[in-house]
Amino acid sequence: MTSSKTGSKNSFQATVQAAEIVREYGPFAGADNVGGVTHDGQRVWAAVGAHLIAFDPESGETTRTLDRAADAGTAFDGTHLYQIAEQRIDKIDPVTGHVLASIPAPGHGADSGLTWAEGSLWVGQYRDRKIHQIDPATGAVLRTIESNRFVTGVTWVDGELWHGTWEAEESDIRRIDPKSGAVLERLEMPHGIGVSGLESDGAGLFYCGGGGSGKVRAVRRPKATRA
Amino acid sequence: MDSLIAASARALAAGDALGALKRVALRDDPPALALRGIAMAQLGEHPRARELLRRAARGFGAHEELARARCVVAEAEVALAMRDIGGSPRALAAASATLEAHGDRANALQARLIAARKLLLIGRLDEATAALAQLDVRGLPPSLAAVAELAAAELSLRSLHVDAARESLARAHEAADRARVPALLAEVAEARAALDRPAARRLLADGEQPLRLDEVAALLASNALVVDACRRGVGTGDTWRPLARRPVLFALARALAEAWPGDVDREALIACAFRTRHPDETHRARLRVEIGRLRALVKALAQIEATAQGFVLKPLGARDVVVLAPPIDGDQASLVALLSDGAAWSTSALALALGASQRTVQRALVELESAGRVRAIGRARAQRWLAPPLAGFTTILLLPAALPIE
Repeated sequence: MTSSKTGSKNSFQATVQAAEIVREYGPFAGADNVGGVTHDGQRVWAAVGAHLIAFDPESGETTRTLDRAADAGTAFDGTHLYQIAEQRIDKIDPVTGHVLASIPAPGHGADSGLTWAEGSLWVGQYRDRKIHQIDPATGAVLRTIESNRFVTGVTWVDGELWHGTWEAEESDIRRIDPKSGAVLERLEMPHGIGVSGLESDGAGLFYCGGGGSGKVRAVRRPKATRA
Repeated sequence: MDSLIAASARALAAGDALGALKRVALRDDPPALALRGIAMAQLGEHPRARELLRRAARGFGAHEELARARCVVAEAEVALAMRDIGGSPRALAAASATLEAHGDRANALQARLIAARKLLLIGRLDEATAALAQLDVRGLPPSLAAVAELAAAELSLRSLHVDAARESLARAHEAADRARVPALLAEVAEARAALDRPAARRLLADGEQPLRLDEVAALLASNALVVDACRRGVGTGDTWRPLARRPVLFALARALAEAWPGDVDREALIACAFRTRHPDETHRARLRVEIGRLRALVKALAQIEATAQGFVLKPLGARDVVVLAPPIDGDQASLVALLSDGAAWSTSALALALGASQRTVQRALVELESAGRVRAIGRARAQRWLAPPLAGFTTILLLPAALPIE
């Protein structure tokens, strides 16, 4: 449906399928909006506004709560959590919950998704339909990829850049060419179900924040389809 | 939703309107405009709130019609709080249809509730009743349910169905309690208190007795023949003869009722009905004509018989005659009593009912308006007068459940 707006050549190659929702978590106590998700290898972290919570994807039990403002995307670099709060990105020690550093968010508060990959942070800028690659130490923008839909979550897995979109009740998870921004593959979410945060577990699943539904959903990642 | 919008919405949900504003004060994208509008509305800056919500609605893209519809509903709610009811109902109806189509039932119902309250506010009571009856209150969030019940109570009170009003108010109280909105609870309490205030006086031979609304209703429902100087009419049980457009007949009926069971002599009747102290034969002839008309109008209720001095009222059956008057004397009280039916009255209709000049009525209305006891809608010849709502027409804003983002 939206493909026609991107350069025609790439869009026709995009494979489209319905997202397969494997499991739903939440809503979690005291949280009515999930703004971002990440995965630290064991637990799933969800940004739920006034705090960050971690839950065990097996049991669904909440195992950890950090009292940190968490308005949008969340990322994990192997040691630290990164969390978008208002106009900044906080670097948080997941053990103590302390904020170790803060950098300005590239969208000055219009930021949504966040992920870590290869030494950079990748930040979605929601209504501006952009993804920025930034220096995690300074916040300097290294480059910008344009999308044709409102960008929510962003994640990298196995060298693939995926991002969530959510625009006017329509939502999908899409793999794009990190160089051209061309859409390569799309998983369409059911009508009315949004993606407000995205993280791969490094294996066969994506975790998606469900915005105002307060839920986190696990969506099956398609087998590599690269030709 | 982006981070500052989320932070702002979080502040708003926690009741921190200033904190919400601070976060998006410099942004002009539609979700930010909508949040600023809602925060402004909560701060009581209604005109600014309307403007922001309007801009937000315009700013959302053609495909973001859900977000746009929510802004339209929020703007209508703010307009209602401002008592600005001039707008066309079409935009609100379209927004309601859009919300319904997208499965946003709570906001669709809110749009329809706003439309019903608007009808109530402009005195179109039948249409308001029909609109309210179509609302399925069970599906509403408690704060909206409380407002719907308040509106229903208002309609019941206007038609003197006091028991129904009490039941609506009890449900409103219960819903406001669940919604945990103190302002709403206070408004329900205020509406309940209105039921206990004097609504009229019963004039007795040796004085008078203040009556609450339910006592008025009980009297009207009783077997007695009631001559009601509040609503200007004569009735018993289910039978009601409005005389608001027949001031001379009403003056005669009232004089006869006040003297009951005695009679009233002709001079006194002429003095009160025709306002002259020097009656001549033409007045006596006119009195006979007017008594004849009154006799015809009330013949299902009472007979009017001639006596040696004048005339006497003889209710059919063994019933009492009761005279109801406004709670206090004076033109203003009479005006307020007339308007208490909740309908929209023109100045000329009020002047006719009270048998006063339009200028007198206009003056009294202006004084009452400045005291907040009557409201005007429309301008010039289309101007109509209404009583302020009895059941505390809620002034708190019930903005759309989900913010117009996502």
